[in-house]
Amino acid sequence: MKLNLTVQPRFRLNFSPLVWVLLTLMGIAFVVAMMRYAFGIGVISDLSYSYPWGFWISFDLFTGVAISSGGFLMAGTVYILRIKEFEPLLRPSVLTAFLGYIMVAIALLVDLGQPLRIWYMMIHWNHTSVLLEIGICVMSYLTVLAIEFAPVVLERFPKVHKVAHLIHKFIMPFVIFGVVLSTLHQSSLGSLLLIQPSKLHPLWWTPILPIMFFASAISIGLAMIILESSLSSRYFQRGLETHLLAKLAKAIPVALVIYGLLKFGELAVAGDFGYLFTSGTMSILFWAEILIGVITPIIWLSIKKNRESANGLLTGAIIVLGGMILNRFNVSWFAVKHPDPLFYMPTFMSNVKYFPTLPEVAVSLGIFAAGILAFGLAAKYLPVFEAEHEAEEVHQSLHGLQPIRASADD
Amino acid sequence: MTKTISRRDFLKLGAASVGALAVGQMLPPMVAKAAKENGVLNAAGDGVISTMCEMCVWRCGVLAKIKEGRVVKLDGNPEHPHSRGNLCPRGQSGLMNTYDPDRVLTPLIRVGQRGEGKFREATWEEALDLVASKMTEIKNTYGAEAMVFSSTHNLSQPLFENLLYAFGSPNYGTQRSLCFNAMIVANLMTYGMEEPARIYDDKLKYILLTGRNLLEAISTSETSDLSHAIDRGAKVVYLDPRYTKTASKATEWLPIKPGNDLAFHLALLNIIISEKLYNRPFVEKNTVGFDELKKEVSRYTPEWAAPLTGIPAETITRIAHEFADAAPHTLAHNGWRTSNFVNSFHTQRAISILNALMGNWDVTMTEAAGEESGTLGAPPQPAYPRVSALRLDGVPWKYPVVPFKIGVFQELRDNIVSGDPYPAHGWFISRQNPIMSLPDRGKTIEAFGKLDFIVTVDIVLNDTAWFSDVVLPEASYLERYDPLLPVGDKVFLRQPVIEPQGEAKSALWIYKQLGERLGLGDFFQYEDEEDYLRQQLAPLGVSLEEVKIKGYAEAPETPHAAESAEKSWNTPSGKIELYSDTLAKVGFPGVPTWEEPPQPAEGEFYLLTGKVATSTQFGTQNNQLLHKYSDDPRLWINAKTAASLGLVDEDWVEVKSSVGQIHTPLLVTQAIRPDCLYMTPGYGHISKGLKTAFGVGASDSTVHVTFTDPISGGQALSQTFVTIKKA
Amino acid sequence: MTVIKHHAYLFDATRCIDCRACMVACSVENNIDMDKTRIWVAGLGVTGEYPELQRGTMVYHCMHCDHPDCMSACPVGAYTKAEDGPVTYNPDLCIGCRYCMNACPFGVPHFDYDKGIIEGAFIDKCTFCPQRIYNGQEPACVETCPTDALEYGDREELIAKAHARIAEHPTRYIDHVYGEFENGGTSYLILSHVPFSELGLPNLPETPVNEVSEKVMEMTIPFALGWGAVLTAVTTGVALYDNKKKAASKEKAETTK
Ligand SMILES: Nc1nc2c(c(=O)[nH]1)N[C@H]1C(S)=C(S)[C@@H](COP(=O)(O)OP(=O)(O)OC[C@H]3O[C@@H](n4cnc5c(=O)[nH]c(N)nc54)[C@H](O)[C@@H]3O)O[C@H]1N2
Ligand SMILES: Nc1nc2c(c(=O)[nH]1)N[C@H]1C(S)=C(S)[C@@H](COP(=O)(O)OP(=O)(O)OC[C@H]3O[C@@H](n4cnc5c(=O)[nH]c(N)nc54)[C@H](O)[C@@H]3O)O[C@H]1N2
Ligand code: SF4
Ligand code: SF4
Ligand code: SF4
Ligand code: SF4
Ligand code: SF4
Ligand SMILES: [Mo]
Repeated sequence: MKLNLTVQPRFRLNFSPLVWVLLTLMGIAFVVAMMRYAFGIGVISDLSYSYPWGFWISFDLFTGVAISSGGFLMAGTVYILRIKEFEPLLRPSVLTAFLGYIMVAIALLVDLGQPLRIWYMMIHWNHTSVLLEIGICVMSYLTVLAIEFAPVVLERFPKVHKVAHLIHKFIMPFVIFGVVLSTLHQSSLGSLLLIQPSKLHPLWWTPILPIMFFASAISIGLAMIILESSLSSRYFQRGLETHLLAKLAKAIPVALVIYGLLKFGELAVAGDFGYLFTSGTMSILFWAEILIGVITPIIWLSIKKNRESANGLLTGAIIVLGGMILNRFNVSWFAVKHPDPLFYMPTFMSNVKYFPTLPEVAVSLGIFAAGILAFGLAAKYLPVFEAEHEAEEVHQSLHGLQPIRASADD
Repeated sequence: MTKTISRRDFLKLGAASVGALAVGQMLPPMVAKAAKENGVLNAAGDGVISTMCEMCVWRCGVLAKIKEGRVVKLDGNPEHPHSRGNLCPRGQSGLMNTYDPDRVLTPLIRVGQRGEGKFREATWEEALDLVASKMTEIKNTYGAEAMVFSSTHNLSQPLFENLLYAFGSPNYGTQRSLCFNAMIVANLMTYGMEEPARIYDDKLKYILLTGRNLLEAISTSETSDLSHAIDRGAKVVYLDPRYTKTASKATEWLPIKPGNDLAFHLALLNIIISEKLYNRPFVEKNTVGFDELKKEVSRYTPEWAAPLTGIPAETITRIAHEFADAAPHTLAHNGWRTSNFVNSFHTQRAISILNALMGNWDVTMTEAAGEESGTLGAPPQPAYPRVSALRLDGVPWKYPVVPFKIGVFQELRDNIVSGDPYPAHGWFISRQNPIMSLPDRGKTIEAFGKLDFIVTVDIVLNDTAWFSDVVLPEASYLERYDPLLPVGDKVFLRQPVIEPQGEAKSALWIYKQLGERLGLGDFFQYEDEEDYLRQQLAPLGVSLEEVKIKGYAEAPETPHAAESAEKSWNTPSGKIELYSDTLAKVGFPGVPTWEEPPQPAEGEFYLLTGKVATSTQFGTQNNQLLHKYSDDPRLWINAKTAASLGLVDEDWVEVKSSVGQIHTPLLVTQAIRPDCLYMTPGYGHISKGLKTAFGVGASDSTVHVTFTDPISGGQALSQTFVTIKKA
Repeated sequence: MTVIKHHAYLFDATRCIDCRACMVACSVENNIDMDKTRIWVAGLGVTGEYPELQRGTMVYHCMHCDHPDCMSACPVGAYTKAEDGPVTYNPDLCIGCRYCMNACPFGVPHFDYDKGIIEGAFIDKCTFCPQRIYNGQEPACVETCPTDALEYGDREELIAKAHARIAEHPTRYIDHVYGEFENGGTSYLILSHVPFSELGLPNLPETPVNEVSEKVMEMTIPFALGWGAVLTAVTTGVALYDNKKKAASKEKAETTK
């Protein structure tokens, strides 16, 4: 593999307004986090006895992990299935996943009551705990991602360039391990809710929650790759591999149909069809999720024209993600019923309403901003998109097509 | 009512203040020396000390758990008949009574205006000298009667009484006329005793409760007895305009129109007598005046009572039958705070007579063991001086059948204000909060304003202390000795489980010190608290040390009349008086007679009062533990009534009577008659010295109008009519 | 006192007068902060329309489940189920994830939201008062109850007692002992005159709530190994096929050259 140190020339980050915004968001999040460490989670959040988990878990953990699933999908595709044409998408996906998981970890450090003890998970194992599995998987997978991504960093430094090769040579076990870990924790994020049959609305609670989660993670991952490629191509003015993305886009409806069949099949088997129209807000949330996340994208992405235009792809990806993120919020928050305060309950138990506070959202935004900044820096200084030239050549030679160059300011 | 009644904020005191901490974090002083010496505690300072609760007047036995020299938990003493191993919530919260951060721990002397709450700390020497000199001054200038004394029932009350009788004042105010005068006087007139004891045995089948909210106004053992009786399947008929927790456990709840309990009971008597359902042999043998009674109640048919009480005639008839069918295992409970209306005396007489007609004596009712055990010793003392001055409260010149010791507390104030028949100049108050407990708070404060000198003995700066010139801090009940309490065939000891905090002292000490300074030392012939107790124990031949370890001593009960062959009662006739000549002689009806209670005018409501389990009267709202688990005080209003007035839950309303007005949020509920409102007593404190309670709720005493039952002298606490409007 | 093989409580809602002595007792016994509690009263309060009213309250604290979901959920094993009943929590292990709060179907564990990392924010819940029950005393809440609405004893005996009570007063009680089977059985048994849901109790099946997740967890390792093997096989297969194809095309290229 040849070294290409020429980073996209038109990409300038020198404290542009965007960077200022990102840094400000990070600063605010930092201050909020410090307050939380000093005075307790209650001081900055609306979390309560009734709502032990809120926005951070729904957004940072559930959404965060889901949208990082592109990493294992691409690793699997490129390394295991050896579909080399997807290689250009590999590094950005792995980077997204890597950063995504780091963000998850940082968010958890804010959310955990005893953040300094996060490593206890590695030594005190309760083998019945789904959360333990997630913890271990996420920690291990972060390591795997670091290894998968290491060559990208190492290639930047010619002296250690051999190490990069070495990693390359022995990458396969890590890739397989990574896929296994991802399969486990993407699905066990769903298993996390298995223990709440009496709290999670029956439209969502099912013993096959892990399968549902895994199934949806695939569409989410694919959509995320499309989204991330589309956006970075716009901001970094580099080529958009529409042909590749179109292939991914073609897989989404397939994944969604399977997901939809599972979902309704399960409801049918459980005899929960009754809830589809009779559960008020819950029914509405359910249908919103299905309409946005499943039905619309199946139709939209089945249309070839949409798959082959940059805007069509982006739109499709956003719809899928919108619906699926709603799903993650539903299962982890909106559709979870907490104990009602009955006749007499102390105040700290009677807060059954939950609405994230500004500081809570600020923490998530700050972490998100850090992720974007990190992605930008990586894109600028590391050969993240390096493989694309190679692939472009392959592609051109195969199809004689010119890649579409989409950029924000053409 | 699916709404949470209480969304009360737990103490939102900052992290720095005591309030946010647990009790254990505010346990300061060390265990009582005595306990250490007598070996109740092991070397590590752990052990259990037996003493008695004083969170209310029931006085349950308490086992105080001591750990490393500190009291950490109170449990009910299984050997004490009032607790039998249980404590009510107030008893459980006792640690916080002692560790209340608002405790007064040194004598205080007022420096600002009265009612301003500015005090300076003083030594006992100075404070006691000041009190004694003021009292002497008043006595020398205006006579001993110009000093008013008042105190609510407590174990050191005999010494308090020593102080007042030796001082020579006739003016003695107790809580009784605000509480149970109607019942006590009625029983005295009927049975010749204040309050017969009730027997809740396995055979008890039927209980009629007239406004005795036993499951909220708790007396641990009796609450437990009633609950177990219900559990066994005894039938309970409960009369109360409110659906209280007792109502919810009763077999039948009758939301009677306030003040008309008399009509209900007269109708029961009517059926029972006209249908000859009474126990004839018992009545013939043990009662007098049956014919007069029969004649009088013949007018009171259930049909007559139905519109008055709001209870259908058939229901009244049925209950009369059921009640009589269950006889003699049947009990009409007098109630406790029975002074509700000016006709309450007759209601109480009717209840007492109802029992007599059932012949349930010694089956479900018997003579109470009494708290004065003849077997206990006492320090010698001279005779009290003769007192010739009239009492300001009108006993007996206006209230001929009210005993002296009971008095008519609420009536004092008019005479203080008017100065007729003579002006009062000083008031000595102990363990009482008349500013809150007397009706018409404005009048009480006005009467206070007429006085030259007020001294209060309390453990916190209660509302009365707030208006006082000197405040003397008593040691709390966990910090002191009190005179022994006879219960059944034992005498129980209250002993310190920790040393008094600050400068607080026992009442035994305080009264003796004052007595000596007033030249009345002969009335307090004991060295210290332990010496007093030794003198009490002397006739029993038990050492104090032994009692300290066990917590009680066996004391053979003085055999009461019931055990002799012929029953006789301590009445003029020696029998149960269905007709009372005593009453007739002073111009009152000799048998229970209907007296129409006043009624609210159009647009007015009855304002009811009544206890809640999580507080006692006016003295525990500052207890942080109880505060933590209490419902927010709100004005109860029936849901339909609220709707018709356009009011909704949590609306703030102005409540107005002829003597005052208050603002309070509403609790819209199904659990009350549409023509009634209800307020929890004990809120709306004036004293800023009560930091936890201050600012919480409103005081019903502000709007209560003073009405006194002319026979028993009881304050008619439900006879206040109010209007409400949105505030 | 009989030997207690399985510590349990029996709560009889028909007896509870909502006096809250149990709540105060718990706070003192266990030295609970003034703004916290381990035990509370639940229920709908007064229901019905004047004058046809009913009231139901129940004292709520940890059910000491036989298959504790809190324990199943806790990643670091901060919960322990004692052989003889009590479910206890060890703050020294807790990482503060609050998953136990989500897992407990009764909403029992609660968290110190007002403590920073220096003070340490922990979970708290009823412990069954081990300091008392293993010293011959009843739990503080039980001991003080003036009406014996709360009782304490051996689970088997209490279940028998509860059924006997129902049999003796069939019209008084709902014919069910909540906790006998719910969630796989709990150590807190409840008798009631009003539907259990009105007391705030969830309608739970006899199989423990954590059954599904524990089964899934049991399958994790085998699944991971299997899936790893499949992936390895696929990888090898694809690689072989790929190499073969490459070799073939190379050959082809060479031969065509
Ligand atoms: N928790 C607690 N327990 C206590 C006390 C306490 O302060 N707190 N105080 C102790 C003392 S000193 C006393 S005297 C007793 C008092 O105990 P109770 O005699 O039970 O007195 P209350 O609670 O004052 O009132 C009882 C009921 O009378 C009702 N009522 C009002 N007017 C009428 C009426 O005209 N007719 C009928 N039938 N009912 C009416 C009220 O709605 C109320 O529910 O409690 C003792 N126990
Ligand atoms: N509105 C309304 N008024 C009522 C009633 C009602 O229900 N509603 N109830 C009536 C009844 S039944 C009664 S019995 C009376 C009670 O009327 P009070 O006896 O005047 O009221 P309490 O609140 O019992 O007063 C007790 C005082 O003793 C103090 N205290 C507590 N412990 C100690 C101690 O160890 N030593 C000393 N020296 N002081 C101590 C407390 O701080 C408190 O100030 O109120 C009557 N008034
Ligand atoms: S009834 Fe309650 S407050 Fe009164 S003495 Fe007993 S435990 Fe104490
Ligand atoms: S009730 Fe909740 S906290 Fe208690 S043992 Fe069961 S699952 Fe655990
Ligand atoms: S909060 Fe603590 S006890 Fe609860 S699940 Fe997490 S680590 Fe376990
Ligand atoms: S058993 Fe102990 S810890 Fe549990 S609620 Fe009762 S008193 Fe509190
Ligand atoms: S102590 Fe007993 S009666 Fe009182 S609230 Fe608790 S369980 Fe109910
Ligand atoms: Mo009273």
